[in-house]
Amino acid sequence: MRDRGWVVLAVGAAALLALPFLRDQLGFPVFYLVFVSGALFWAAQATSWNILSGYSGYFSFGQGAFFGVGVYSLAFFFARRGLEWWVGVLLGGLLSMLLGLILGTIAFRLRKLRGEIFALLTLAIPFILVAVVRLSRTIDGGQGVGIPVPSYPDFLRPFQHFYFVLSVLVALLALSLAYAMRGTRYGWALFAIHDDEEVAEGLGVPTFRHKMIAIAVTGFLGGLSGAVFALNLGHVSPEGTFNLRVPLFVIVMSALGGRRHWAGPMVGAVYIHTLQNRLAAAGFEGWSLIILGAVLIALVLFAPDGLMSRFTRRPWTVTGVLAGVVIAMGLVDVGQPVDRLAVAMLVAAVTAFLPGGKKRRARVGETATTLGGVVPGPDGEGMPLPEVGRPLVTVSEVAKSFGGVDALAGVSVTVSEGELVGLVGPNGSGKTTLVNLLSGALPPTSGSITVDGVDIVGMTPHKITHLGLARTYQIPRPFLTLTVSDNVAIAIMFGRDPKGLGASRDAADAFLAMVGLDELAHAYPSEINLHERQLLEMARAMATGPRVLLLDEALAGLNPVEIDNAIAVVSRIHRSGVAIVLVEHLLRVVNQLSTRMIVLNQGLLLAEGEPAKVLSDPDVVTTYLGKRPNA
Amino acid sequence: MLEVTGLDVYYGDAQALWEVSMHIGEAEVVSVVGPNGAGKSTLVNAVMGIQPARQGRIVMDDVDITGVPGHRTCRAGVAIVPEGRRLFPALTVGDNLDLGAFNKRARQHHAESLEWVYALFPWMAERQTQHAGSLSGGEQQMVAIGRALMARPRLLLMDEPSLGLAPLIVDEVFEVIETVRAEGVGVLLVEQNVQRALDISSRAYLLSEGRIVMEGPGQELAESPEIRRAVLGV
Amino acid sequence: MNELQSIVFGVLTGSFFALIALGISLAWGFLKVINLSHFGLVLIGSYLTFQLATSTGMNPIATVAVTAPAMFALGALIQWGFERFEVSELNSLLISYGILIIMIQVVQNTWSADFQRMDPGVNPYFVQSIAIGQLRFPVPTLLAAGFAIALVLLAHYVLEKTYAGRALQAFGQDRQISSAFGIDHRLLGVLLAGATGASGAIAGMLHALGQTLSPDAPFEWVGRVFAIVILGGIGNVTGTLYAGLLVGAVAGAVTFIWSASVAPLVVFSLVVLALIFRPQGLFLRKAEH
Repeated sequence: MRDRGWVVLAVGAAALLALPFLRDQLGFPVFYLVFVSGALFWAAQATSWNILSGYSGYFSFGQGAFFGVGVYSLAFFFARRGLEWWVGVLLGGLLSMLLGLILGTIAFRLRKLRGEIFALLTLAIPFILVAVVRLSRTIDGGQGVGIPVPSYPDFLRPFQHFYFVLSVLVALLALSLAYAMRGTRYGWALFAIHDDEEVAEGLGVPTFRHKMIAIAVTGFLGGLSGAVFALNLGHVSPEGTFNLRVPLFVIVMSALGGRRHWAGPMVGAVYIHTLQNRLAAAGFEGWSLIILGAVLIALVLFAPDGLMSRFTRRPWTVTGVLAGVVIAMGLVDVGQPVDRLAVAMLVAAVTAFLPGGKKRRARVGETATTLGGVVPGPDGEGMPLPEVGRPLVTVSEVAKSFGGVDALAGVSVTVSEGELVGLVGPNGSGKTTLVNLLSGALPPTSGSITVDGVDIVGMTPHKITHLGLARTYQIPRPFLTLTVSDNVAIAIMFGRDPKGLGASRDAADAFLAMVGLDELAHAYPSEINLHERQLLEMARAMATGPRVLLLDEALAGLNPVEIDNAIAVVSRIHRSGVAIVLVEHLLRVVNQLSTRMIVLNQGLLLAEGEPAKVLSDPDVVTTYLGKRPNA
Repeated sequence: MLEVTGLDVYYGDAQALWEVSMHIGEAEVVSVVGPNGAGKSTLVNAVMGIQPARQGRIVMDDVDITGVPGHRTCRAGVAIVPEGRRLFPALTVGDNLDLGAFNKRARQHHAESLEWVYALFPWMAERQTQHAGSLSGGEQQMVAIGRALMARPRLLLMDEPSLGLAPLIVDEVFEVIETVRAEGVGVLLVEQNVQRALDISSRAYLLSEGRIVMEGPGQELAESPEIRRAVLGV
Repeated sequence: MNELQSIVFGVLTGSFFALIALGISLAWGFLKVINLSHFGLVLIGSYLTFQLATSTGMNPIATVAVTAPAMFALGALIQWGFERFEVSELNSLLISYGILIIMIQVVQNTWSADFQRMDPGVNPYFVQSIAIGQLRFPVPTLLAAGFAIALVLLAHYVLEKTYAGRALQAFGQDRQISSAFGIDHRLLGVLLAGATGASGAIAGMLHALGQTLSPDAPFEWVGRVFAIVILGGIGNVTGTLYAGLLVGAVAGAVTFIWSASVAPLVVFSLVVLALIFRPQGLFLRKAEH
């Protein structure tokens, strides 16, 4: 699949680049080159937008800002200051990238409402830029800036040919970057961030860094493409540059084509550009924004995954319909060729969005869990219990208050190599708070926590994972748009022993086998049941290569058979050399599995020691069963 | 008065309750006890209509309230004292009580109900303008009970009222439960503090891992080894 | 204009933006919906005022008798749509953006992209001004400030003192439990959205009184309004007003010291600082102290 994409891009680019030189032979008017240049511009802008907003889910309404910085960089450095046109273009890309990095620094580190605040910031930015541009006489001053025709090699004359070639090159760059990202860890980090940023961070993905990379790429491409576009304009003005068109169009184009697919925005761009063009030609320009708005709403509500994912379900049918309509209309000689293309595309889109089509088969076979048995594997009893070694995690007098409530009032706990510590306590005892403190999701109010001797208070969660502490979530949080196998692969890619994309995918199998999910490797999380999702949580956490694993109520909501299965899996993980902290309600399970038990109550340590001893401790019994008054 | 039959409740696709059946008579205190995670809160929320049931029936005073959303269930005479109190934190004590009577049936008797609540908890009359979020745990519990009583329920659902409270306050809470029962209100009491709950109840159910595994008179359950096994796993 | 005049003028216009911000803030805080179409309601309200006054000669201020119910209905309808389709917070941003685009284009198709303004005969307020001490202010600006402050205070009163208002607050604080006590969130949500729609119509009328109308006005409002929403605290009525006044004062001062075009930059910087140091807004509700 990887190589196919590069071939498609290379062939497509070559074919397009050849077009201007073949114009005489093929005998088509220059209008078509202009039309395609427009489509390529939009393809580049939409692809640029999609890298940040589609891949990582951080919606930006500010593509117009990147575009505008590109346009005005060219206007300033080339038109006003007389530098070479390509210097202006390059600076357009770089300055735009800088703007992106500034925005990212402001918004990407917030704890709450990151996505929403980022979207709103991007909504406002273009209008701040308009004000600056209008104000500053050096840049514009309000009357606009005239763009002279750049000097370019003779063999590319007339200008439309030159511009066309530039458009192809920029679009090629954008598509290549989008495609390449999909084939490396960077793209997959963005997908993980899109699905669940907090979980991704917990699996070792340095989320801030990756978001900054994404916005830098988006900014650079947006600016570059904008600067090139400006070469084609005789004159640029603030209102003409910083308006609704670019931000809106790129959103609708990407949403239409599909935000997950590298070619989605390009497909959407071709569609919308053609539609726009035909509406304008027919005199309906006033309707185009209304239609676009309606299309956006319809897509968000009913088809959020866009065209490409629908297309891949019935590729031959859709292609056939497209070709068929074009040919049929050609035979009857109705309309201009571009009109035929527009109609054909509409019909093809409708066909693609129809319900049905080939669905993937997710479940290759039955798993042991569906058969009601215990997952086969290295026999829990056969392997020896690991020896208890040195302390790995030390929690010292840790307290946490929320407002005025003390969730933890001073708890000290150690977890050593080889242990399976059961952490129990009634509701409100502070178990979950302790787990959240250990994983770095929350900072303690006081006290210290060290992992392998390193103080982790204030550390970003992904660094804690790299020290060797991983966790699962009580309500499983798989990456919904990735397969079971890829969920595990992400953890390998960014865990303690990081591997590249391909190697990680290969290594994922071993972890799936450990929990018995190998048959479901290509299923999506929505297709597997709760127990299987909990096993996936465990496999994924294990794939980061931890020394200590925090299992947060991994058995919640399971039936007795599933519980037995889960017990076997946990035991197997323990015997493979990973220390475990098992937070559980089901005391019989904790009794069965743990080498040591800790009981919390009302934020304090109540009892600690061997399970049997702890469970017969009168204080513990009272905590769980209650006390008669005056007892 | 309340009749629950064959209730199945799911959270997403995790099944929390399997075929739960129970009943509560008028002016009875019935307890549901069991280990954490057994599904006790889920049961309360399902009866209140704030958690949908996938199968089964809930009938209150011969009116089928299965699948009826919360804001209409309260009209059938059911009110809730939620786990963790869940008062409206930025509103005052007075506001919280007033809003308890929001449903149409209770609104007509607003003044009466308020008098009754202030009679039960005299200190609340003086602290009407205090913000609910600034009250102590025990005080919040009382206001939560008061709020529920303002809805003029025939059945009061109490979810872990003793949670996080000092023993003396727990005493007071249980006294209130007894008073309320004496006024003719039935109580479905979900509790972690097994002994206390069983002491005050005429009947009880043991809920473990989503199923009713035992039922009977309170005293009988209190003395059985089943309880210990279910809760402690030994 | 001297410095004081500039600042006071800024404060007065700031209250107008606070009125718009109120609609956004209430929806975001109580309904968990980021509703960009609110700007569209203000825009449509302003053009309807223009049209009604111009065609029928009615007093522009009186046009709200027609536009407010109309925008109430439209606002309620949009909220009903959000509830019906169970739209998430992020998706509400996208969908309302689409609705806003459609509204802007419809306005442009109906009234053209040219600037429009009511004739002085129809709108005598436009040219009038009143002197207060040494300072002189246009009547529309004073009216805008007056209406805006009155409406904000009304909203505050309703929320704090009426039964329904407190029910709305409870709904904003704990949806599930408020529902258990009979507070029907769907109905309440639709009514709240209708009310904010009506407030948008009033804001539109005020805008039409003092400014030339153009279809892309919403995009000039967005930055400042969101600055006010964030600084004031989402869902905080009085906070929104204070933030509006503050932002207005800052803009006024900056306009005097440098120039009008720098003001957006300064306001934006304020928002950025607020986000970094105090994301919950500058003006806390009393209960959160």
